[in-house]
Amino acid sequence: MAKFNLQPVVKPRDWKGTLGRLWTLTKGSRKGLGWILFLSALASGSAIGSPLVIGRAMNAVDRGDAVTSILIFLLCIYLCDWLVRFGQQFLMAAVGQKMIHQIRTALFGKMKKLPLAFFDQRQHGELMSRLTNDVDNISTTISNSLTQLLTYIFTIIGIFCIMLALSPLLTVVTLIGVGLIFLLTRLVTTHTRKLFSRQQQILGKLNGQIEETISGENVVKAFCRENQMIEQFERSNEELRKVATRALIWSGYLMPLTNVINNLSYVGVSIVSGILAVNGYISIGMISSFLLYVRQFSRPFVDIANIYNSFQTAVAGAERILDILDESPEPADAPDALPLISPAGEIELQNVVFGYRPDAPVLKGISLKIPAGTKMAIVGTTGAGKTTIINLLTRFYDINAGRILLDGHDLREYRMKDLRNSFGVVLQDSALFAASVRENIGYGKETADLEDIKAAARIAGADTFIERLPKGYDTILTQGGMELSQGERQLLTIARAVLNDAPILILDEATSSVDTVTEQRIREAVLKITKRRTSFIIAHRLSTIKDSDLIILLENGHIAEQGTHEELMRQNGKYAAMYRTQTGV
Amino acid sequence: MRLIIQYIRRHLGLFCTALLFLTIETMADLLQPTFMAHIVDDGVKNMDVKQILFYGAIMFAIALAGACGAVMRNIFASYTSQTIGKELRSDIFRKVQTLSLENIDRLQPASIITRITNDVTQVQEFINGCMRIMVKAPITGIGAIILVVVQTPKQIPVMVVIVFAALAMVVANMKLGYPLFGRMQRKLDRLNNVSREFLSSIRVVKAFHAEGQEQSKFETASLELADASTSAMRVMAVFSPMINLTVNFGIVVLLWLSRNQNSMEIGRLMASVNYMTQVLFAMGMISNILNSAVRAMASSERIREVLDEEAAQKMAENPCSPEWKGEIEFRNVSFTYAGAGKETLKEVSFCAKPGETIGIIGPTGSGKTTLVNLIPRFYDVEKGTVCVDGIDVTRVREEELRSAVTVVPQKALLFSGTILENLRWGREDAEDADLKRAAEIACADSFISKTEKGYDTLLGQGGVNLSGGQKQRLALARALARDPRILILDDCTSALDAETEAAVLSGLRQWLQNVTVLLISQRISTVRKADRILCLENGIVQGIGSHEELMAECSTYQAIYRSQLGGDNNG
Repeated sequence: MAKFNLQPVVKPRDWKGTLGRLWTLTKGSRKGLGWILFLSALASGSAIGSPLVIGRAMNAVDRGDAVTSILIFLLCIYLCDWLVRFGQQFLMAAVGQKMIHQIRTALFGKMKKLPLAFFDQRQHGELMSRLTNDVDNISTTISNSLTQLLTYIFTIIGIFCIMLALSPLLTVVTLIGVGLIFLLTRLVTTHTRKLFSRQQQILGKLNGQIEETISGENVVKAFCRENQMIEQFERSNEELRKVATRALIWSGYLMPLTNVINNLSYVGVSIVSGILAVNGYISIGMISSFLLYVRQFSRPFVDIANIYNSFQTAVAGAERILDILDESPEPADAPDALPLISPAGEIELQNVVFGYRPDAPVLKGISLKIPAGTKMAIVGTTGAGKTTIINLLTRFYDINAGRILLDGHDLREYRMKDLRNSFGVVLQDSALFAASVRENIGYGKETADLEDIKAAARIAGADTFIERLPKGYDTILTQGGMELSQGERQLLTIARAVLNDAPILILDEATSSVDTVTEQRIREAVLKITKRRTSFIIAHRLSTIKDSDLIILLENGHIAEQGTHEELMRQNGKYAAMYRTQTGV
Repeated sequence: MRLIIQYIRRHLGLFCTALLFLTIETMADLLQPTFMAHIVDDGVKNMDVKQILFYGAIMFAIALAGACGAVMRNIFASYTSQTIGKELRSDIFRKVQTLSLENIDRLQPASIITRITNDVTQVQEFINGCMRIMVKAPITGIGAIILVVVQTPKQIPVMVVIVFAALAMVVANMKLGYPLFGRMQRKLDRLNNVSREFLSSIRVVKAFHAEGQEQSKFETASLELADASTSAMRVMAVFSPMINLTVNFGIVVLLWLSRNQNSMEIGRLMASVNYMTQVLFAMGMISNILNSAVRAMASSERIREVLDEEAAQKMAENPCSPEWKGEIEFRNVSFTYAGAGKETLKEVSFCAKPGETIGIIGPTGSGKTTLVNLIPRFYDVEKGTVCVDGIDVTRVREEELRSAVTVVPQKALLFSGTILENLRWGREDAEDADLKRAAEIACADSFISKTEKGYDTLLGQGGVNLSGGQKQRLALARALARDPRILILDDCTSALDAETEAAVLSGLRQWLQNVTVLLISQRISTVRKADRILCLENGIVQGIGSHEELMAECSTYQAIYRSQLGGDNNG
């Protein structure tokens, strides 16, 4: 049963270009696709031929002639039809899925090369639906509607020719019905499209209210706002009911009225063909053929409008995927890029300027020299640019002006892979994967064996709690580590950094959301691993970074103060003030 | 299913009217070939144009009647299904509002939301479908079969065989297809998980240069999904053409059996062939119906789970409405979360005098938040009693209690609307000046007045256009506007930088002279100015007293203190 898709249609920007590029993505499936299209064309054969044969059978029955050979022929048509349909659908199952898989992996392959800015600017949910649902919908819709369209076009042309040859007058009667259906569809769709987009709007509002209320239920209850929330909800709920009812009624007219018009054509053909038969212009069998044709001729017309709409939406969706494929990836390494093997870790920032948007610089000319092996801390209020410096060091983003040197060479001269391998990173939100503890520690270093992993865990101080887990290192973190406490998760990521054994370490707010006892454990681990390594620590709590070799205080994109803890306390400036408020001294 | 029937029963009149019109519509479809048969047999055979026009006119009248039926059915069905959808949404929403947080935790907020949105839509579409096509399929199918039998009675055994064969195939399709579609769904979930992890860990992926590892993980998941989908679709590819073939085969048999028939009945034969195509159509519909029925059933089950949920808390009987002073007393309170193995609070006893400020400190997971959530009765104690002003909190009306006790949670939740509307949550009848005053104390006024529209700034859902610190200050102002007797601050200044936090706390101390304050924090610097500090670990009170007292006798407190000052003693 055709489902009527009357939701607002998104129009593609560039039909030809998009279809052309989609075609290039089907490489490897083209042979299968060709067969499917060929079979789709054949599939119209039964619809075109069988009514004619049934009509001849009727004539034979009417005259008392032998029908056996005609019926065997009819049976053959049906058997062929069965084979063609089976072949088409069977092929489609494999080819369609293969295409989806190809487009999907191409998309993922592209995504993984995109710079961090791309991910920071987009919602993850949206990107996820591109990877899974969108690709799926697009490929199935496009291939389904293509094959259906092909079948329908052949059916319409074939039936039209046969009808015209059999009886021009009856053809005209049939065409009147088709015309009426066409007009009706147009009338209904223009009307419903507005209603549906209104419905979508109100639905969005209502869903927003539901989400807000239920995920904030503790606040709603704390302020006893249950009744007000119900009132607000009921208003939108009633509004939705009204609009949705109207939209549904209007769109609901399409199917039954089309059916009625079909019935009217049927009546028209019955009467006219009856009269023609009485006058001897046509045979009885022809009446039967025509009655079957009437039904089969009008159905494609109803569906084509729908197929066209969903095809359009799918192509527009494909454009969104192609947009991602067109994004410029992270810059490739220059051919003469330098290898970087265990750098000493001397870093120099020369007048570094950077902003996530060109008009809003975050760092406004930072210059800083960090000798190898320095334990350095970055402090400052939220938004001062602490994390930004880290993003620049690892080349998650590239600077706008100035230079960053590592061991005397600009970062951009190194191979990206080597550069990133030189940094061990522990971030604020400990990213763990739904895999075993062992795999999580060994992430990014597939060559590590169990002994290496255990050693890393020991240094990070994570071994005690891991061994208490039901399966030790083989425990699967099913919910991405949510079954562990925050401190334990953080220790695992530290173990990961330890295993990576990078010459330069970065700890971005690694202890900000754990309790102070766990923080102590983490600090001990950090102390151990920062020995003889250049390290950067970002922390909210100043007590964590007191013993650093160098502390810089960022403010408004500049370095406001720098020195050791004692020096900064003696300066009695911002840092000293911050320290005193935090410790309550 | 019971749920669906229950809601349909509420609108039984409308539902039956819709079905009545649907029957008219379907009958109109069904009768056409019968009268066509008359045109052929009575009109064409007898060369009687009058007869042809007469039966033609009848067919025309039937078609019009069918049209009326269709229009009316459409109106009734749309109205009924949308009304039921609205009622379902409304009933779930209202039900959730009566549930306690314990119920909501158990059902999970995200899951409740999908039940109100997706599942209701699923059921609504099913009910609408019932009144559109579901009844039509059996009527068409059975009607067509009966009419074939009436038109050409010799064919009864053939019809029976054909119909059963086709039905058997529909059932086999479902039986074989369902597990495969289930597997497909699981593989899809897996792929979704892999992409979600990749996206949320993108920094780590890049930092560890693990793009290749992620790619192969994704490719495996994608390939598994493709394989699962292919085998599921192949089952469909086998059966759906088979069903077509069976019915088509019926047409051939019908014609063959009629080969020696009286030529006077040729019209009837035509009608029978026409009916066979309608049977084919009905068969196609049946598989659709079964599919959507299964989905709707699963949805209605999920909806029923919410509607049948029994509120975990009982309303107070004979509630008393005291004049609140603000004394809090815990007597041997123990508490365990539903589904959690061990107790979160064990035998907690303490007392806070009106106007006193008590700091609560302890490691994460020590039960701080749980402890304060018992005071406004978000949860009920398992053992012991929680009293406010000497009255057990279970003996007071919730509104009464919660107007006196206000919690400011760590996660500041704001709602879409203007800033002023959000503040007004505190007290419906508050003057604008009072709200502004509350904002000033919470250090929120400064950033509010900097925005273009000030207090009329529109907040997006959940206050998305504010920073974490700004949200926390607004949430605090909202609580202050309520003018509570007991104010609970649950680490609600965690996103503020140290200076702003200090300003907020000192502002609070001045304004809240007569208010009992419970101040939860992980930082000693935040709680040390409180009148007394309660130190909690593993749900057990380790000590309660002033900073100096705890430093002297509570080892947990000392450990926390040492860890926060980096081990030296310059406190």
